[in-house]
Amino acid sequence: MTTTALELHSVSKTFGATKALQGVSMTVERGEVLALLGENGCGKSTLVKVVAGVYDPEPGARMLVDGREVSLPLEAGASRDLGLSFVHQDLGLARPLTVLENLLGGVAERSGSRLRIQWRSEARKARAMLRSYGVDVDPLAVINHLPPVEQALVAIARAAEELKQYRERTGATSSVLVLDEPTVFLPEEEVQFLFDLIRTIVASGASVVFISHDLPAVREIADRVTVLRDGKLAATARMSDVTDAEIVELIVGPAIAKLDAFGHGNVHGDGRPATAPPRVFDRSPGAGLHVTGLRGGQVRGLDLHVAPGEVVGLAGLLGSGAEEVPYLLFGAKQATGGELTLDGTTVPVARQQPATAVGMGLALIPADRRRDAIAPAVSVAENMMLLVVRRFAVRGWLRNRRLRGAADARAETLDVRPRRTDLPVGTLSGGNAQKVVVGKWLEIGPRVLLLHEPTQGVDIAARAEIYRVVRRATEDGMSVVWVSSDFDELATVCDRVVVVSGGVAGAEIPLRDITPEAITAGVYGASTSESTILPTVEQVAR
Amino acid sequence: MSATDTLEAKDPQPAPSVAQGRGSTRGRWGEKAALPIAWLVLFVVFAALAPDTFLSMGNIANILGSQSILFMLALAALLPTRSGDLDLSLGSIGGLSAIIVAVLNVRHGVSLPLACLAAVAVGALCGAFNGLFVVRFKTEPFIMTLGTGTLFGGLVFWIANSTTIVGVDRDLSMWTYLRQIGQVPVQFYYCLLVMLVIWYAMNYTPLGVRNLFVGQSREVAVLSGINADRIRFGAFTLAGVIASLAGILYVGTTGSAGPTSVETFLLPAYAAVFLGATTIQPGRFNALGTGVAVLFLATGTAGLQLLGAQDYAQQLFYGGALVAAVAISRYLRRT
Repeated sequence: MTTTALELHSVSKTFGATKALQGVSMTVERGEVLALLGENGCGKSTLVKVVAGVYDPEPGARMLVDGREVSLPLEAGASRDLGLSFVHQDLGLARPLTVLENLLGGVAERSGSRLRIQWRSEARKARAMLRSYGVDVDPLAVINHLPPVEQALVAIARAAEELKQYRERTGATSSVLVLDEPTVFLPEEEVQFLFDLIRTIVASGASVVFISHDLPAVREIADRVTVLRDGKLAATARMSDVTDAEIVELIVGPAIAKLDAFGHGNVHGDGRPATAPPRVFDRSPGAGLHVTGLRGGQVRGLDLHVAPGEVVGLAGLLGSGAEEVPYLLFGAKQATGGELTLDGTTVPVARQQPATAVGMGLALIPADRRRDAIAPAVSVAENMMLLVVRRFAVRGWLRNRRLRGAADARAETLDVRPRRTDLPVGTLSGGNAQKVVVGKWLEIGPRVLLLHEPTQGVDIAARAEIYRVVRRATEDGMSVVWVSSDFDELATVCDRVVVVSGGVAGAEIPLRDITPEAITAGVYGASTSESTILPTVEQVAR
Repeated sequence: MSATDTLEAKDPQPAPSVAQGRGSTRGRWGEKAALPIAWLVLFVVFAALAPDTFLSMGNIANILGSQSILFMLALAALLPTRSGDLDLSLGSIGGLSAIIVAVLNVRHGVSLPLACLAAVAVGALCGAFNGLFVVRFKTEPFIMTLGTGTLFGGLVFWIANSTTIVGVDRDLSMWTYLRQIGQVPVQFYYCLLVMLVIWYAMNYTPLGVRNLFVGQSREVAVLSGINADRIRFGAFTLAGVIASLAGILYVGTTGSAGPTSVETFLLPAYAAVFLGATTIQPGRFNALGTGVAVLFLATGTAGLQLLGAQDYAQQLFYGGALVAAVAISRYLRRT
């Protein structure tokens, strides 16, 4: 009898020119909690999807479940019959339905039973089942009405129950539950409920793979840790054998000098002199953007100051609140509190609407470009000039030729390809569409530019063009708040990076110390020798 | 993902010259002209089949003039559709306006201008009622206006006491149907005027551009600081006003108003709106396209009648046109 619940050997996967996984091997032992760590894009989710049968690995990969060889690639849904179960971040629950309906959904599908559902007895059984995992939730409650932690508990208990039934059905002695970032949306004090559940599941005979960015959580629950970096296995170790700092170094890798594409001399994080003198910002109280006590969503009292012309990056893990700041400030997402002061004028953020935000000179470049930033079926010219369309009206008569001419000129300076402003934006590539979005907002000469993941799905050339255009706009005193999970990008464009965790602004990384590694270290709550970050995530979160 | 393809990859043709129509999204000439060509073909076919009757001036005037109620109602339907909504109550609003004119004028002796003014005011009120429920209470316009439409239809029955009211002042017929310019009833020119005003507002004013974004990508419009709710509310209200004009034309054309009148024009009106989106500015709901589509439908039904087709033929034609139009306009708006 083997001791491994799951073994993977030399798993590789290539997408186009990207090697997402290169010969990764991993072992999950029976009855353990294994943490799987790594940066965004390191291959974690690709690996999980190979195990789930979503992606086919390249030939040469091997997979053993409970000591038995499994032929790859898996067919979709086959993982279920191997005793593998997955709970993703979105939990996979039908939110308008009740807990009971969610629990029965999968079963009804599988058994194909035509018998009448005995709701009353099913509810009783569901309550008993949830209780057996220490989850005290009313089976008749609607998922949407449950607090996030109970939603997560229901989803995980459902998966655990599936595994238990699998073991009873087949007589197997092991099974594996994969939890993909289950703690992201949970307040720290409630993560404990989740850990109790995980311990119950492990005691009942399953192994758990715990994917997370949250080092303190990993430290508490995991027995062993496997780290991936750039699609390769960085290391596997017992938790007791490694320090947090060592784990961060495994995640980030040895420091490497980055290209200075942004031209502010911010090449080195190691103390070598920068090639350009640092820019001087007007930090007087009346100048630039001041945010105090911002609240809403995951943000719980965030303070932020951006001087005129300054580019401030916000870095944080998913769920930290960083990604919500632009939307809250713009009024695209309802804030519950906080004040925003711009050039001496103060407004309550809770009353902000997109229309008032635009009126005071705020601009938002949202992450979901196709839904929120461009009207795909409308022409490039109209998209680009939407905000200033009045400018082309003479006595109420819109001069479309002038509008087109202005759009053509803008397309030229932004290098939008093809140079056809009459085409629907939807036909442009991601990078060129994003140039149109940037151009649209720069057209109003904004005082503050808020960006969220502005270069997602944007090729390198367009990316450099967007950096350059934004940079040039800051010379007129435009303040920039740049939220990105791409830390190379933040290191390239920012004059200062603020780490956000637990919904508040934490450590600040000044220009001379900005490197992708320092930002990563900052958000993972540890500090590297080169950086000056003082508080850790744990301290900040309190 | 299609967003990553550039057009150059799909479309190796050289860039068409500046002569392209303004505001067009897909520039191909054939697409824009397809419906007018279809209209011409239809015309020629009927002319060949029934040269004596179909080509008579009287018939052509009939084609242009008789469908004015449909024309006006289609222009009403165009507005909410353009801003991304749907208003199924417009036929009932027209019917309500018609019965109000008739009742006020015949039963209460109210003068025609005053009765018409009251009808238009009621139309605006009904439209605002729709706007309030759909926009402010964020409901699905389809089912909500189905409800309000039934509600307004109930009012019509109540007011009419389920009977047809005849004997409306002949002046109204004079000013709509009987007076002619070049053998075509004046009401056709009223429709043309409304169409041109809408065309102008949609294509040559900043409001029209904002309205376009509200209809095409509402999230984008909102995040660009556009008050989408106000534009949608305005579209519903104005649609109510124009639908009441259709009701007045109905009273002028028939000299009466009954429990059901303008409602029957709702389906062909939407057929015209969606057919109109396939032409002139393909992929966009537009006023000129709607006008062309109305003429297309009018020609088809008039021709079928002249050939002695049964009533069901008209239904088949309207229904078939709507089905085809929705499918084609959906295809044109794909990105």
